[in-house]
Amino acid sequence: MALIVEAVELKKIYMLGKIPVEALRGVNLKVESGDFLAILGPSGSGKSTMLNLIGALDKPTEGKMLIEGVDISTLNDNQLADLRRRIGFVFQFFNLIPRFTARDNIELSMSIADMSRAERRKRAEELLETVGLNDRMNHKPAELSGGEQQRVAIARALANNPRFLLMDEPTGNIDSKTASEIMRLIKRLNEEKGVTIIMVTHDQHLAREAKRIVQMFDGVITSDMVN
Amino acid sequence: MKIPDVFSYSFSAIKLRKLRAALTTLGVVIGIAAIVALLSITQGLQTTITSQLERGLAADTLIVVPGSSALGGAAGGGEVFGGGGRIGGGSSSSAPLYVNYTNQINALSPDIVTSLAVIQKSGYIQNGSGVIRQVTTIVGVNFSQYASAYSTTFVAASGSVPVNPSGNEIVVGARVSDPRLNGTMFVHADDNVSIIWTNNTIVPFVNETYTAHVSAVLDRIGGFGLGGPSDTGVYVPLSQAEKFFGSDQADEIIVKLKSSDAAVVNSTSKAITDYFGNQVSVISATAVQSLLSTIFSTISLFLGGIAAISLLVAGIGIMNIMIVSLIERTREIGILKALGMKSRTVLYIFLTESVIIGLIGAVIGIVSGWVLANVVSLFLGRGGIIGSALTITPILTPEVLLGALAFGVGISVIFALYPAWRASKLKPVEALRYE
Repeated sequence: MALIVEAVELKKIYMLGKIPVEALRGVNLKVESGDFLAILGPSGSGKSTMLNLIGALDKPTEGKMLIEGVDISTLNDNQLADLRRRIGFVFQFFNLIPRFTARDNIELSMSIADMSRAERRKRAEELLETVGLNDRMNHKPAELSGGEQQRVAIARALANNPRFLLMDEPTGNIDSKTASEIMRLIKRLNEEKGVTIIMVTHDQHLAREAKRIVQMFDGVITSDMVN
Repeated sequence: MKIPDVFSYSFSAIKLRKLRAALTTLGVVIGIAAIVALLSITQGLQTTITSQLERGLAADTLIVVPGSSALGGAAGGGEVFGGGGRIGGGSSSSAPLYVNYTNQINALSPDIVTSLAVIQKSGYIQNGSGVIRQVTTIVGVNFSQYASAYSTTFVAASGSVPVNPSGNEIVVGARVSDPRLNGTMFVHADDNVSIIWTNNTIVPFVNETYTAHVSAVLDRIGGFGLGGPSDTGVYVPLSQAEKFFGSDQADEIIVKLKSSDAAVVNSTSKAITDYFGNQVSVISATAVQSLLSTIFSTISLFLGGIAAISLLVAGIGIMNIMIVSLIERTREIGILKALGMKSRTVLYIFLTESVIIGLIGAVIGIVSGWVLANVVSLFLGRGGIIGSALTITPILTPEVLLGALAFGVGISVIFALYPAWRASKLKPVEALRYE
């Protein structure tokens, strides 16, 4: 199994006004390809900071965050942008572009990766089929339910064949019935297509769906166990 | 991101806020339209005046006037536009020019074909019904020489220009015969009229008068009559003018050259001024044209500058709207960066939005400026400010067209630089957190 994400003595200190806040206080973590990992913790545990660092959206204050063996601290803005194309983000609030249809939202991430128009159109339609939304491809986010929007977001995250999906409370904004459908989809992606998934949540029930649960509290990992 | 994708992304952002984009574009439209309208009218006016000048003052013709500063500085320049065919103006203290100096001038250079003296005064004309009208100028010239110097304009529409006129024969311009050019005739060819001149060389002033016979009415000339015949002139034989005005001082001497070659024009001009000890000025078409083009480039710069200010205001409008847009779209920018968009692509997207606004604004502005210029010149031509003597056809040169396009887009881009730069510098983590 290839090592995809590795955190070594990871520290992150924010300045909240003039007061330094230690969000991460030395985190060590390894994620291998094919994993389905839940990072579980209450708010203020440092899990969101962890998400930002794994997603190469931010840089650590100390320690190393290695994505496929590359330390993100050594990368410049452009290289970080390139790296993020290989990470599939799924956000709590979906973060679709409201003026674009479902298909155009999926195509957007491929157009950022310079894929040709014909190629991305074909792939967007395939992905919508994968997430079971091929009949809604010309609908805008406002015309879709929360669950449908999140499916579009998952399809968008998969568009550029990412090394892993990075999910931030993926069902946090969806009713429980739809949430379990979304979780079934996520599990199916992991089991059938071998997609590596890192999911950040405060919801224990949700975390129990993962293969491995990493518990965080107060900026450190307090437990790391296989489910 | 590929360039067509950047364009379609930017376009989708503009389409989202149609009214706002339309109003921002309107600012550019107004600025560009003002520039295009003002410059094309100015260009048209310059062309009209230059063609008037070419008609009145051929390139192979020199005009000698008393005084040493006819074209010197602003005062001389201003008098170029003074009506009645007199170009430039001598100062009162300068040495007079006499009618018989034509003989000396003719002998000065083999390049001179002929020269003719012109006497002109303002005066009145009274028709058979006793109605008196002021005419701009009573011009004393040798009819046959004048007709050969101005073969296209000193042409009779009715009657005929006498070759060897008797003292009381005159020729009048089209607007002397038909002052409003609407068929309400003041005099016809073959009428008898009274020519009146207020003699101010003696005190008290005396109205001198004599009865003349209209031998010919000239064809309509139009324009100002910059040198040469004009529609408002009354032409009397030179000898009659000398007698009537009691003076043999010429107001100008027209010199016809063998060629319009610059070297010939310059050497002859110099020969004449030297001969008269720099007490006369020699006006050539090229000198007047260069003066005109200097004046017009100053006017263009001034008017263009005023119009450019409105475009500057439009630029500030663009900047304002872009900053609002960037704040509204902070989260969107965060999403784009999370999806792997580079900072410079974010910059391009915002700049492209301003290019689209600038381009659309410039194109609509050029079209509406052109329409505006034509409407304005139609109004001016219909007895407006300048009167029907002059028609202006606006001219849109490729320079103005491309310049307006580049300026519109340029201003838009320059004012979008700061907002676009700020958008590109947003940190993804903070942008994503933005509500």
